[in-house]
Amino acid sequence: MTEPLVLSALLAWGTLVGLDLVSVAQSMIARPFVAGGVAGLLLGDPAAGCRVGVLLELFALDVLPIGAARYPDYGPATLAATAVAAGAPWELSLGLAGTVGLLVSVLGGWSLQRLRRLNAEAVQRHAAALAAGESVAIRRLQYGGIARDAVRSALLTAAGLVAAWVAQRWLVLDRRTAVALTLVVVGAALAAALGGALRSAGRSRRRRWLAAGLVLGLALAVLQ
Amino acid sequence: MTGRGRALLRLFTVQGVWNYERMLGVGIGYAAEPLLEDLKAADPVRHSEAVVRSAEFFNCNPNLAGLALGATIRAEYDGAPGPQVARLRAALCSPLGALGDQLFWAGLLPALVGAALTGLALGASGWGIVAFLVAYNLVRVWTAVWALRTGLGTGMEVGGAIGRSWIPRAVPRVGFAAGCLVGLALPVVAGWYLRPFGLWGVAGVGLVTAAGVAAGRLLGARMTGSRFALLAVAATLLLRLVTR
Repeated sequence: MTEPLVLSALLAWGTLVGLDLVSVAQSMIARPFVAGGVAGLLLGDPAAGCRVGVLLELFALDVLPIGAARYPDYGPATLAATAVAAGAPWELSLGLAGTVGLLVSVLGGWSLQRLRRLNAEAVQRHAAALAAGESVAIRRLQYGGIARDAVRSALLTAAGLVAAWVAQRWLVLDRRTAVALTLVVVGAALAAALGGALRSAGRSRRRRWLAAGLVLGLALAVLQ
Repeated sequence: MTGRGRALLRLFTVQGVWNYERMLGVGIGYAAEPLLEDLKAADPVRHSEAVVRSAEFFNCNPNLAGLALGATIRAEYDGAPGPQVARLRAALCSPLGALGDQLFWAGLLPALVGAALTGLALGASGWGIVAFLVAYNLVRVWTAVWALRTGLGTGMEVGGAIGRSWIPRAVPRVGFAAGCLVGLALPVVAGWYLRPFGLWGVAGVGLVTAAGVAAGRLLGARMTGSRFALLAVAATLLLRLVTR
């Protein structure tokens, strides 16, 4: 993880992932299981990236990014969490990795609010040009907004990687605590996804489809 | 590249300067620029007014923004009065937001994520991720092309065109698929994580899951999934510290 090439690749990937969440493309590379899978490949431990990515994806399923809703940024956070888990047995590292990921995602959510306020200030500064119908002002605002989000994403990724380094270096947990933390984080992630699914289903027919899926999934899990 | 092609590409950055003042407004103005070029030569005054209108407040699901963009641009070329174009734009915010959010954020996305998570837990590895990205982006890009073409083709009549289109019919179906596939994924993923931990581990995770769902139901939006998780982690660490 300390190799400069790997760090640069992670920083570039985190910036792309952060941009994809809202500003550019929304091609869903910001989904945690996608971001984590690629981060795991970059760190030489794709299995860890997959485990961490699926864990944080369960939390992301709780989020509906509707209108001006405030939500955590799980993309760069997944990179940080993967950096914590890479190279260690996942049963022992997933709890700490998930915790670091959740903390970075909260920081990411705060940074998104800050970005939106900075964008609003930029729009206010260009209000006269917008009222005069100057296309140049629209272009300048657009490129400025994307550039600000790129900086936000890069800084968030860098902060996440520093947090991952600190966690790996200084937070050494005994085996029982590490296992307990993993089980608690997995349980909380399942609760987040189930709570989100129940909320989306409401009292409509969708709830019956959710129940049917749960029964099918349970049968599949038992057969596995 | 044609003006329509450039506008389509720009629609993929429609939230580039998302803000609480105009929301998607400036992004729509940016995407409108190539489509308004012909108007610049034909009627410079109207063009200037249209540019101002194009960047005013607007909000909807970004995947359906092309409908509003196309419809308002067509209305500008048809010579509709400015206030009428502005009213059309304002009237499209809520329906395009509601339909798009249900179709994409509460429907297609959780459905495909559920399928991908099930695949990953069953051993699909990288292919599950690639299949998810391809499937989502095929639908998403096709919808963007359809939305812009429909908006440009119908102008002020876009409301009727949306009502007759595939979107209102697709929303409930995609919603059912999302419910089923997320439901399918949860036990499979739980089994994938819990296999090495035995019955005590399963019981402990079941307890935390039940507590998390109950806390979410009781406390509503104040108790998000990540907040509950961080509280549970803090409680676990405290308990371990005390009982050590």
